[in-house]
Amino acid sequence: MNMKVFAVIKREYLTRVKTKGFIIGTFLFPMILILIFGGYFIFSTVFGPSTRTYHIIDQSGRIFDEFSRIQSDTLKNGDPEYQFIREDITAEGLEPIVDGLQNRVLNKEIDGYMIIPEDIVESKTITYSARNVSDFEEQESFGRTFSWIVTNMRFENRGLPADEIRQEMNRGRVRLNTRQVTEKGEIEKSGGASFALSYLLTYVIILMMMIYGQTLMRSVIEEKTQRITETIVSSIKPIELMLGKIAGICALGITQLIVFGGIILLMLNYSESIFKQLGVDAPDVLGFVRQIHFSSNVFAFMIIFFLLGFVFFSSIFAAVGAMVNTEDEGQQYQMPLMILIWIGFFIMLTVAKNPETPRAFWVSLFPLFTPIVMFSRIAVSDPIIPSGAYLSLFTMSASTVLLIMLVAKIYRVGILMYGKKASIKEAIRWIRYK
Amino acid sequence: MKVLEVNNISKSFGNFRAVDDVSFSIEEGVIFGLLGPNGAGKTTSIRMIINIILPDSGRVSVLGETNSKTANDFIGYLPEERGLYRKMKVGELLLFMAALKRTNKRKARQAVDYWLEKIDLMDWKNKKIEELSKGMQQKIQFIGTVLHEPKLLILDEPFGGLDPINQNLIKDILLELKGKRTTIIFSTHVMESAEKLCEEIFLINKGREVLYGKLGEIKKSIGRQNILIEYDGSDDFLKKSDQIKKFDNYGNYVEVQLKKDGDPQKLLKDAVKTITIKKFELKEPSLNDIFIETIQGTNEGGNES
Repeated sequence: MNMKVFAVIKREYLTRVKTKGFIIGTFLFPMILILIFGGYFIFSTVFGPSTRTYHIIDQSGRIFDEFSRIQSDTLKNGDPEYQFIREDITAEGLEPIVDGLQNRVLNKEIDGYMIIPEDIVESKTITYSARNVSDFEEQESFGRTFSWIVTNMRFENRGLPADEIRQEMNRGRVRLNTRQVTEKGEIEKSGGASFALSYLLTYVIILMMMIYGQTLMRSVIEEKTQRITETIVSSIKPIELMLGKIAGICALGITQLIVFGGIILLMLNYSESIFKQLGVDAPDVLGFVRQIHFSSNVFAFMIIFFLLGFVFFSSIFAAVGAMVNTEDEGQQYQMPLMILIWIGFFIMLTVAKNPETPRAFWVSLFPLFTPIVMFSRIAVSDPIIPSGAYLSLFTMSASTVLLIMLVAKIYRVGILMYGKKASIKEAIRWIRYK
Repeated sequence: MKVLEVNNISKSFGNFRAVDDVSFSIEEGVIFGLLGPNGAGKTTSIRMIINIILPDSGRVSVLGETNSKTANDFIGYLPEERGLYRKMKVGELLLFMAALKRTNKRKARQAVDYWLEKIDLMDWKNKKIEELSKGMQQKIQFIGTVLHEPKLLILDEPFGGLDPINQNLIKDILLELKGKRTTIIFSTHVMESAEKLCEEIFLINKGREVLYGKLGEIKKSIGRQNILIEYDGSDDFLKKSDQIKKFDNYGNYVEVQLKKDGDPQKLLKDAVKTITIKKFELKEPSLNDIFIETIQGTNEGGNES
């Protein structure tokens, strides 16, 4: 490789990889992620609920026993999850009892109370009153249990055998075996897991492009504001300088991706045993991750699209850096760019569900969107390679080369322009400079 | 051997003609002054010489190469707008600058140590640039331009911002490099330092050549002499004398400019009649005088046309 370009790549890479910011960002970020995930499961035990007490006024007299029998789970510490107390109606009627219960709830003696009307089978409405009504899981669980009991009562009222019907309903449950038709035959695949992962991977690509694009822009602006440019370009051609900077910062991004990937793999391998040692159930997340099987195609395309997308977008960031004098001015110009990247992200969300429509095909060939949209099509269609995937490699490479040639001209003029920030119109005029 | 040949280069930015049909050439081992007021076109000319920008017309050839892509490795350039990567260590930065000139690593390391020793900044080798004073940074940048032993050294205002001791240090290094046959282009608007160093000058104003040649010959061709007189008494004799064109009284001494055919002997004779002479010195016009006169002359000429 050209020794000069290599010197620039080395400088960009080494001066940044050694900074505290990079080291912290690279190692601390996944650690924080682990802590958040791990913390959720650990804290859910620590801060889990203690036994809750509900009073039930069962005016029908037919629900309470069944309900407390079904809702008899125990907490992780062995205590029962709920304590239900039957409230009998006295001669004075409902109101004094409710008043009393309200006071006890407010005094935190009990957590809440429920009123089951006499005609529950017809009205199908139960009042649930509590100090805290934000535990929707609990409310759902109560609702399911009540429905189950009431449904059984309705069966019985019509003389139908509830147990038998329930049994038959269970027997009649059908499993949908999802299979994808591919050239190599049919394979079993679940949609959810691969959609989630392709969503995650594209999100990572976008974040990396934005973070490192800005790093590059700052680096270009630094050379301008510190008046370094003129010294450097007396030794190296501006386009070589630009390519060297892009490559150096790209290498930085790849380093970070490799570290992230390594940490995530380690985490997946060891997390189960760690969770067990902590006395926490291995979380569902792990099982979910294990369902994902991508072919090596996906990873090959991911690397290619990451590199192409990175070079494509960062060359725009380089041009922006050359056009402005301060980071604040840079922010103004990069806004539309950010918006475009996010538009690509939203297009991706819908295209990923319907990857083979003609519109999906065309939009994924548009260079601004290719790295995100085309990649997601590839990820969700795996192991089938969607239409236009190979074509997009060509269109994306060609448009990247074209863009670099164009941007290099703006860069060449811009880096030596001090003072006023350049308008888009001026930048276009620079392209035509000799 | 001609190290640099500049033939009829012109450059415009929009409607502004920054450099207009400029030509000159420099022999090996010469210190060449590229002089002119601010905004005259010095930096634009230099940028065309080192191929940062291309001339609209005309041709530059460095060391016989018309495409300076390779020639640039033999050029050292200290721009007027200068700065360094603040977060880099001095040693690393200098090695980076040497690598950009394709200097091999071992040679570059030796050169870095040699030059750091020479400018007395060896102790700062592992310090970051931002920890250095402005003057130190400037010296670092200067040696960054000579590490690769350039054949042509282009310095844009190299003394700006340096104290007299460091100015002397740089001046000595330049003379040493000249001794090793290094060709030096010295661009400045400070005539005193140019006068001390330059053998040839090119005076540029409003993008055009106004004066070009060997400094000694230029002074001779102007053909007039100035007289410096230190005396006790009144300057009335000067006002009466028909030998002089004008004079400037600086209090301690007067500087007198004779008429074209003025005779210093007659002036001296007139003077001794009325005043006590302490010193009477015939003196060539300074580069500063030439500069001011020529630039004012061309500016007035420019206004008329």
